[in-house]
Order: sequence, then C-alpha cells, then structure tokens
Amino acid sequence: MHATAKPAGGLRSRLRRGAARWARRRQGEDRLPLQLATRRIYILPTRAGLAFAALLFVMLLAGLNYGNSIALLITFLLAGFGLIAMHLCHRNLVGAVVRGIATVDAFVGEHGRLLITFENPADTARIGIECETAESERVTVSVPADASARAELGVPLTSRGRLPIERIRLSTAFPFGLFRAWTWLHLPLSLLAWPVPRGRREPPPEIASGGNAPAVHRAGDEEWAGLREFRDGDSPRQVAWGAYARGRGLLVKTYQSPAAHQRMFDVANVPGADVEQRLEQLSAWIVAAHARGERYGLRLGEQHAATGSGSEHRARCLNGLALYGSGEPW
Amino acid sequence: MRLEARSSVAAALLYAAALVLTVGSAPTWCLCVGFAAVAWRMLVARGHFVRPQRRRGMRFLLGAITAVLVIAVAATFRTVTGLAAGTALLVVMGALKVLESRARRDDAIVIGVALFLLLAAGLAGQALWRLPLYLLTLWGACAAMALVAHADAQFSARAALRLAARALLMAIPLAVVCFAFFPRIAGQFWALQGEAATTGLSDEMSPGSIGELATGYDLAFRARFEGPPPPHPSLYWRGPVLNAFDGFTWRREWHSCCRSLPLQSDGDPVRYRITLEPTNRNWLFALDTVDAAPARDVNLSYDHQLTRTEPVVTPLSYEAVSHLRTHTDAPLGKLARQLETRLPPDRNPRTLALAADLRARSGSDADYAHKVLAWFRDSGLEYTLEPGTTTLDSVDTTLFDSKRGFCGHFASAYATMMRAVGIPARVVTGYLGGEWNPVGGYLIVRQSEAHAWNEIWLDGRGWVRIDPTAVVAPERLQRGVYDMLTASLPAGSVLLHGNRWFNRLSLLWDGASQWWQEHVVEFDLRAQFRLLEKLGIDAPQWQHLGWGFAMGLIAWVAWVALALRRSVARGKPDRVGRAWLRATRKLKRITPRAAHEGPIDYARRVAATRPDLAARVDALAARYSRLRFGPGAGREEIAAFEREVRRLAV
Repeated sequence: MHATAKPAGGLRSRLRRGAARWARRRQGEDRLPLQLATRRIYILPTRAGLAFAALLFVMLLAGLNYGNSIALLITFLLAGFGLIAMHLCHRNLVGAVVRGIATVDAFVGEHGRLLITFENPADTARIGIECETAESERVTVSVPADASARAELGVPLTSRGRLPIERIRLSTAFPFGLFRAWTWLHLPLSLLAWPVPRGRREPPPEIASGGNAPAVHRAGDEEWAGLREFRDGDSPRQVAWGAYARGRGLLVKTYQSPAAHQRMFDVANVPGADVEQRLEQLSAWIVAAHARGERYGLRLGEQHAATGSGSEHRARCLNGLALYGSGEPW
Repeated sequence: MRLEARSSVAAALLYAAALVLTVGSAPTWCLCVGFAAVAWRMLVARGHFVRPQRRRGMRFLLGAITAVLVIAVAATFRTVTGLAAGTALLVVMGALKVLESRARRDDAIVIGVALFLLLAAGLAGQALWRLPLYLLTLWGACAAMALVAHADAQFSARAALRLAARALLMAIPLAVVCFAFFPRIAGQFWALQGEAATTGLSDEMSPGSIGELATGYDLAFRARFEGPPPPHPSLYWRGPVLNAFDGFTWRREWHSCCRSLPLQSDGDPVRYRITLEPTNRNWLFALDTVDAAPARDVNLSYDHQLTRTEPVVTPLSYEAVSHLRTHTDAPLGKLARQLETRLPPDRNPRTLALAADLRARSGSDADYAHKVLAWFRDSGLEYTLEPGTTTLDSVDTTLFDSKRGFCGHFASAYATMMRAVGIPARVVTGYLGGEWNPVGGYLIVRQSEAHAWNEIWLDGRGWVRIDPTAVVAPERLQRGVYDMLTASLPAGSVLLHGNRWFNRLSLLWDGASQWWQEHVVEFDLRAQFRLLEKLGIDAPQWQHLGWGFAMGLIAWVAWVALALRRSVARGKPDRVGRAWLRATRKLKRITPRAAHEGPIDYARRVAATRPDLAARVDALAARYSRLRFGPGAGREEIAAFEREVRRLAV
C-alpha cells in the first residue's frame, strides 16, 4: 500500500464532480458490506490509453499506405490487446467486496483516517485498487486472491466539527494503465475533528469523591486494567501489538487510575471570550488528564459526560468538544 | 531491484529489444548511442551511478546533445524524412528519453518510441524469420506497460509477462479477423523511398560476371506451376537480352524501331506464378517464351524481355503464361537483322578466321550452327567457375588460349561465331533450372542458377535457342552449379548444401517462407475478395468485407466477455467467512451465536460453557477477527485458519 499525491483539479475534476453527483442520484446510498456490481463501475481510457489509440491509428495508416501486412498484423494485435486490457481493468473491480470502513477521528491539523477493508472472493489477485475521497490523498492497495486487505486513507482535518465523507472513489488502472475503471461509494460516514489541545491555564481543582485516595498523583502511575477488543476511535498507540502478533486479534490496552479523585471540566468555567480557544483549553486538559490516568468529566452547556477514564471516555469527551455548538448530541 | 527502478528498467530493456530490430536499417552510430543509453540506465538502476539532479545546466546540456544528434542524423542521411532517417531519429530520441527518464510518464514515452521502432522495422522487412522477433518485442512492450503502470510488490515482472502473454494470445483471433476482413484501401497516401541494394543479373555481361553471381546461394525467385513442372532442361528463365558486343562486354541496346514477330507455339502453354525477390532493377524473369506482360506496368519487348516501369524494391508476385517451344514463319526485318549481326571488326581475329573457315565447309546456316557446336564439344573446352584472366580479345582467349570458361564465355563466343558469318545472334541471360521444393510444391531459383545462352535466327524457324554450355558440360542441363563445380565454391556453403538434413530443413523453411510471402505478406484487397469467393460469396463487394469484419468482431467481443467474466454473485461469503460459518455451526451445539455477537464475545460465551475448549475457541475467534478486520491476510494465514476450524472438535 502506498500513497501518491493528488493531481491538481481543473476542468477534469469539475467534470468528475458532476459525474459523481449524477452517480449519487443514480445509485442512492450504499450499505456495507458491499459487493461491487458491474452496474456501478464506470470506465474510460486514460491519457496513456488515448496516446495508445493515436499510435494504433498511425500504425494502421502506415500499414494501409504501404500495403504492409506485418504493420497491419501488429496494429490489429495491439488493438485486440487494448480491448482485452479494458476488460481486465473493469474486472479488477467487479466483484470486489468492501467489508467495512472504520473511521478514526483526530485533532484539527492532523489526519483523520478511513480504514477500508476489502475482500477478494475471486481466485486471482486484484492489484492496484486506488482509494480516495475529495479531501484525501490517494492510497493504493492490492488484495490477494481469496483474501482480504485494508487501505488506510488519511483525511486532513482543517476545522473543528464533523467532516462528512460524501463519497469514496475506488479506481484502478490495472493492468496496463490504458483504462481507468472506477466506482463511487456513498456511505453515511463522517470524521470528527477535535479541537487542538492548546492552552496554559491550570485545570480546575480536583474534587474529592469520598474515597480515601492519595492526594498527590504522579503521571504514569496507572494501574493495568486489562485488554479489551478494538473499537472505532481507539488510537493505534493503545493497541496491544504484542498480543496481536501472538494471534489474539486486535486488542486495546486499558489502564485505570488507582486514585479515586476526579476533575470536572466545564466550558462555562473556562475564562476567555473566544469559544474556540476555550474548547482548545478543554481539549488540552482532557488530553493531560487522560495521559495521567485521572478521572474527569465534561460539561458543555446542557449536555455532560459523567466522570470516567479510558480512551473511550476521552474520545467521547473530545467528540463533545468537536460537536460543541452544532446541537448534535454526543 | 527497487520497485521504482523497475519501471524504467523495463522500458529501457524494451527499447534495447526494439533497437535490435533496427540493426541493419539504422546507422551503427545511432545503435551505439541507443545501447549506451540503455547500459547507463541499467547501471543507475543497480546503484552504480547516482543520477544527476535536475538543474538548469542539465537541461541545456540535454538540449545541446539533442541538437547535435539531430544534426548528425541529418548529415548521415541528408534528410530527416523517409523511413531510414525517421528510424534513426526515433532511435536517437528514444536514447535521450531513456537517459533523462524520471517519471513513469517518461517510461511510457519510451514504450511508445519502442512501438514506433517496431513499426519501422515491420515496414523495412516482412521476412518470416523476423516474425518471432516482432512478436517477442510486442510481448515485451505489453508487459512493460503493466510494469510502468504498477510499482506494486504483489505484481511481479513474471506476473506482468504472464498477463501480457494472455492478453496478446486472446487478441490473436481478433487480429486474424481484422487481417482477413479489414478493407485494404488501395493506393498510397505517401510514398516510401526505396534504398535497397542492387542484386542479381545486370544488363551487361563481361567475361566472369555471370560466374561471380553464380557463387551466391541467395534466392532469386520462386515459381509455382499450375500442373506438373516442366523438366529441368527446359527451365530457361529469360532475363535481360543482350544485343550489342564490343569484343569484351555484351550490353543491351534499346531499339524502338524493332517489331515483335508473330509466334506459333508448339505444345501446351505453361502457367505459373513467380515471386521475385527485390533486385532494385526493372526487369522481371519468365520462362522462355512468355506470351504477354503479366501486369499493366510491365512492358514486353520485341525480344521477349519483361521490363517494369519501377524497380523491384519489395518482393513481387506475378502470374505468367509461357510456351516452351515456338517458331515463326515471318521474316526478320532488315534493320533487326543488321542490328543483330553487328560485330567489332578488329576484335577476336582468330575467332573470325575460324568462323569463316567453318562456314565455308557448311552447306547452310543450320549446318554451320551445328558444326560450331561440334567444334565447341571437341576442342577440349573446360566448364569452370575460374576461367583465369582474359584479354580485350576475350573470345579468342576463351577458345584458343585458356580453353576454360563459364556459361557467359561460351555464349559470348558462340554469338560471335554466328555474327561473324552474318547469322543474327544474341545473348540471353537468366537462370537455368532450379531446385524443386517438395514441401511447398514449387521451384526455388537461386543466384547460383544464373546462366547465359544464345538465340540465333534461322529463316523459316525464327529465333532458335542454342545453349553452347550444354555441349561443353551436358550435365549442367540436369543439375545446378552447386552440384557440379563444388571445388570453386565457398567451402562452408558446399558443406551445408551437401548435408541431407540441412537440405531437408532448408527446404522446409523455404516452404514456410514462401507460404508466408504468398498468404500473409502479399495479402491484399484482391486476396480478400478471393477469400470471400471461397466463403461462397459471388461477386464480392466492399460491404461484404464490412459484414465479415463486423461479425468477426462481435463474435470475438462476446467470446472475450465470456472468457474474462467473473462471478459477481451477491452475498457469497469468502474463504474466511465460509470457514467461520463452519466453526459456528460446530459450536452451535454448545451455544448458538447471536446475530449481533462479535467473534470475541461469542468465544467468551462458549468458553464459559465449555472451559475445556476455551483456549482453542479463543484462538479461533482471535484469528478470525484478525483475518477479518486486520490489515490484510495472505493465503497461508487463511489456510492455517481453515486447518484450525477443521481440527475443532466439540
């Protein structure tokens, strides 16, 4: 799997967007898992394909002009080859299965990720399937015969909030680069862009929660709380790769603070006029509290998250920050 | 090799293969430039050199090299158009592109250059032996396209070659249909400059010139007869007819005032088709005596020589009808008689004296002709390819001093003897005999069969063929020069020619080449119409070709769609899913899986009921989720998972 830069848009990209809108109306919304059917796969010659056609035309003219059988034979062989190439390109997508797409949210300025799992039920490999969204880079993935593979698509997050992924484009120029077959996936997907953790204010004081917890807590002084299954939103840093290598599946390490003390973060209690800056401060506190393994809660106006800890809790709180002001529940 | 380098290496290798095809048509220095560029590219790919950074200076340098090379090509050919100069330009441009290739797009352009070189090579030569080279290059080009398009570790060069081979093989039926039915538009849109070397008989004959030609084993032409071929001794293939002698060299002079005489033929006409190799000369060959010009651009002269308006620069096929024996009652014109008896008076005095002596002792012209032949037979003349040096009085030398000669010497001497006493005589050059190819059922005539004989005019009979070589060396009528004069021939070719297996193989190969020439290279609009007639269409038209083309195309497209289709059945689980289904079916007896339940949760529940299975089921579920949701899985892992499922016993 490797990523390539996206070419700059122009008339081509405008045309492409128009065609994509037309395809959206034609195809409707998709549901996963999804097997790519012939009906939804489009194909056109690439620039190399057009050049190839021009070359064939010149060869044909030369062959006819000189009554040269060899030139004509070569031309006709290459013409047949081109048509076969079209078929091979088309069938590189037909029948592939998109098993699932996981989203990984991230802070503004970072890349959110789409993890697309492909399955190939056919007995030949599917080489060079390129995945991209309007915003993302292009990522190429190959799926061996009767097996699965995953593409990891980074989507740059530029502003706080929910970034809907309108469509994902899967395309391929396999095998000879003369044609490009593509399809659009329209799925109810979105990425959340969390506010950047930024701000130097002291976090609000701890609230004793009736426990006889020690008052002072050192960072990293967390207690091992065991493994649980990977869920959407978990950071790869938390994945227990050792367990994965032993074949136990994708598991996540969880920790629990030994202390019973906790903090409550409230947007109303953060000083400052700019909402975004206040959210960034909250984000910084949440990140710091999580890193120290503390228990914390978050209150954003009417909605709040009760005190808790762990990555899931952290993600929930950050989601709340991302969605603040949109009126969406979190 | 790094994957990024693979693309440019594939393109460079393809370019090298295309260079090999142009050996012989592109100048050597161009080829050297091309191969040097490829070598440099390979060294860069192996990491021996670091490619210089793209700088402004580099650009200028490349521009300067380009200009120098283009000027060099222009200087070599004195033009930049035409096939040879165009090929050289392509070679040079391809070399530059190989040198400066950075992106995959550059590699794609190199592939395009290679395909153009392939086209140029095809235009320059269509011989059968080149076909495998063309096909191999084509294959390489297709594979290189795939490698340039995909720098993917899972897509090996071997896979690219396999895929390209498959695609090309599947394209063959379409190519055949197109070849047969795609209408060949007659006429040229632009003209090709012929630059072939001149080979074969010339329109001059000096002592030794025929002998030089006869040491070559090269093909002159092939002849396919309708019906059984005539016997070897009557296979006189008529070429240039020479009528002017200066005592040393016979030449052809063109006399428009002479008329052709009406001929009566004795015996059945012989019909045949000749495929002439390029000679870059204007004359065609036909059996003695041809009755009409085979094509509109060919002229049949009064002395039965076929002359084409354009030189023969590509293989040429024509059909002809000949009469092996003819006579005429018409008298020879005064002017013609005068022309055909001219002789330099002060040359070859001994020959002239001998002629006068023999004529005095003969009753008639015919008797004299026989007496001279008898003299040739009895005076100890030797038939050889190495007659030694000669003087300006070449006939005297042959007949009285060296007494050695090849067919040309004897024909020259005999004609001189005839003309000396006022009998019209001339020298006819051409070929005698040929090798029968039983594989292809046709006759191969080589340069070694080159021959010269005479025609003399006898009143009441017309022009009569006399072959003085036949009395000096009678076996020449039955056998080729190669079988007779082996001592004077190049040792290697005699050795090969003497080997039975080599002969068989070479006949087989020649048969295949002839088939290729007749049925593929010369396949044109007329041949297309003949094919349609064979398919049962009377009076074929253009639209019939169109129909054939369309039907073939549709059939091929349907076949390809069927052959390449892939099942897109919905909801069919893949191998991993099927194995997991089998596992859950086994575990159903313990506790059935809930529809919403993930594999790990389910395994936990199973383990709670059956602690003895816990480890195994846990491992199974973990493996399943890794295969299903992990970053991808290979065949081995899937096979291991299937084995685990099989081993699972409840």
